[in-house]
Parts: sequence; C-alpha cells; structure tokens
Amino acid sequence: QGLLRRSVSHSFLSFASITGACRAIQKLTRVRVVDNSALGNTPYHRPPKCIHVYNKTGVGKVGDTILLAIKGEKKKALIVGHKMPGPTMTPRFDSNNVVLIEDNGNPIGTRIKTPIPYILRRREGEFSKVLAIACNFV
Amino acid sequence: MWRAVSAGCRLLRPISATAGGALRLEPLPRVAGAPRGGCAAAGGGGAKALGAVAERRQAADTVLPKFNIDFVVPLLRQENAKDICVIQLPPEIKYCNYFIIVSGSSTRHLHAMAHYMLKMYKHHKEESDPHTRIEGKETDDWLCIDFGSIVMHFMLPETREAYELEKLWTLGSYDDQLAQMTPQSLPEDFIFGLTPNSSDHLETALSGKRNESAFTDLRDIQP
Repeated sequence: QGLLRRSVSHSFLSFASITGACRAIQKLTRVRVVDNSALGNTPYHRPPKCIHVYNKTGVGKVGDTILLAIKGEKKKALIVGHKMPGPTMTPRFDSNNVVLIEDNGNPIGTRIKTPIPYILRRREGEFSKVLAIACNFV
Repeated sequence: MWRAVSAGCRLLRPISATAGGALRLEPLPRVAGAPRGGCAAAGGGGAKALGAVAERRQAADTVLPKFNIDFVVPLLRQENAKDICVIQLPPEIKYCNYFIIVSGSSTRHLHAMAHYMLKMYKHHKEESDPHTRIEGKETDDWLCIDFGSIVMHFMLPETREAYELEKLWTLGSYDDQLAQMTPQSLPEDFIFGLTPNSSDHLETALSGKRNESAFTDLRDIQP
C-alpha cells in the first residue's frame, strides 16, 4: 500500500486533466480552507469550490475575495495563497489556501495555522483581521 | 523572543511607570489596584494567561515621533475604552511594534473611538506618512486600524472572548485554541514534489473507498 503509480492520470479520482497552475483561482477551482472554522473543517463529499471571484478579471490572486460553495452553502472567502507563481519575492504555496469570512468581513474561524504572506498588509483591503488571527507569517 | 511564563498571573504596573515591558493591562478605575487573582479589568475574560515577558525596550515608534504608544493610550482612556490591552511584539515578528486591543460598550462606541483615533492620527501626521483606513466599518463588533507600527483592534466584549487575540499574540505557539485545532497530518502515501490533484476533503472522503493509492494534497510544508 502506498505505492505510487506512474500512470498518474488513470488511477485518479474523477479528475479529467491535470493542468499545472495556469491561472490562480477562478470559478470552479477547488480550494483548501485553512482556518479552524467548523464549516471549513467538517468533511463533505465535495471539496469547497470557488463559484465567483470579486474582481474585474475572473482570476483571484492573494488578497481577493471569492465566493465559495461549501457544504451546500455559499460563503465568502479570502485568498491567502495560491499555487501559481506570483511576483518575484512573494511566496508560492502548494495549495490554494483560503480563509472563510462573513459578508461583513469578519473571519469565521479563530485561528490560522498555515503561513500567511506579508503582502496582504500592503494591499488595499481589509486584511488586518485575518492577519490578527494568523500565527505564522511568510 | 519572548518567554511564556505559565505560572499564573503577573502583577501589573501602570503604563506610565515603565518604559517598556511586555503585556500591560489597564485596569478600570473602579477595579482597585492590581488584583492578585484576575489580573484583568472587569469583564476582561477570566482565563487570560498573562504569560509573556519581553525584554525592556524603549517605547520607540519609528513611524511617527508624536503618534506613539504613550500618546495613544491616554487617548483611549479618555474615550472610556474598556480593557485596553497593549502587547509589545518582538522584532522577530515583523508585523508591528504594538498590538492594542480595546473593548467598547456598544457599536456606536467602537465607531466613535475608531474615528477619533483616526482623526488624531490625521491631525498629527505629516504629508509623507501613509494614510490609514478603518477596517470593519460595516461590521458591528470588530473594527481595526493599522497604523504601521501600531495595530489597534476595537471589539465588543463577546467578540473579544470568541477570538482571544491576546492569548494568541502573547502565548504564540502555546495557545490553547491552536492546540485544539485538529492537526493535519500527512497521509502515508504522501510524496513531496509531485503535483497534487485533489483537495483534502476529497481525499479523506474517497480514500476509504478506493483502495489504490492516489496522490494526496500537498500540504504546506511547515518549516
């Protein structure tokens, strides 16, 4: 058990193609919720997916708000890291990380264990709350 | 690096007496002196473990010479802010120098305090200093302002209890909410360096059904 198959694309779970990270987070990307909210951590048979990006272009980068479909409900979320390489000297994460927030901007979870990039502080937007509940900074 | 002292509460000293120091809680005027047990202002939350001790530092504010911590805290006291909690962060955390958490009695009180602080900042800053905005204006329980080297959070007492930011920033990794978060462990067939193709939930839900190994989500490798 635990054998790695070479024929990657065949033994997988339902995904048709493996594309590398070409655009950061857009509609229908599966994301990973990294805070300790109940909504983000209870298992569900479908992964949380982005259904809308609040941006002029439909692509979300670090610091953008997106709308997420989680457990049959819609929740807003803030992108804190994506797999696509960004500008130089910014961190690139191995998973598309997202923090759930309410409509008024308050985070739903109370702690974030994964590293959060510092660039959120420079960006225009309401990130101080998310930075306040984070422990690691990158 | 600040050391977490886990033994009970520390005796508090008023902010004007010391030049530096780690965690200073301002007791309400009606709470007499520095109480032995609670070390907190009334209603501040019973389980505040004031464990953090930092080295003595001069309260230097690099952003503005005038708008520093000794200016801000008396303003907050003047505004009848409850439970002013000032945490001095070590320079290894390159976030800010001071982290202030303040409770208010109502939503209007929070908004009034936040706008007043912003007004004082605008009055005292020079043109070269960056503008600051109030975040959380559409919420009714949590507002916050980032002044560069000082970050202020205005919360209602219930919100403060829920998030327990003081514990997080003083205890660091010994925080109990962090410990209660279920640790995410790497699955057995995790192999670093390969492109993941599924998310956590899908993996845990379906890995039981499918016996063959599949790629797992590549978690962030925490240093």
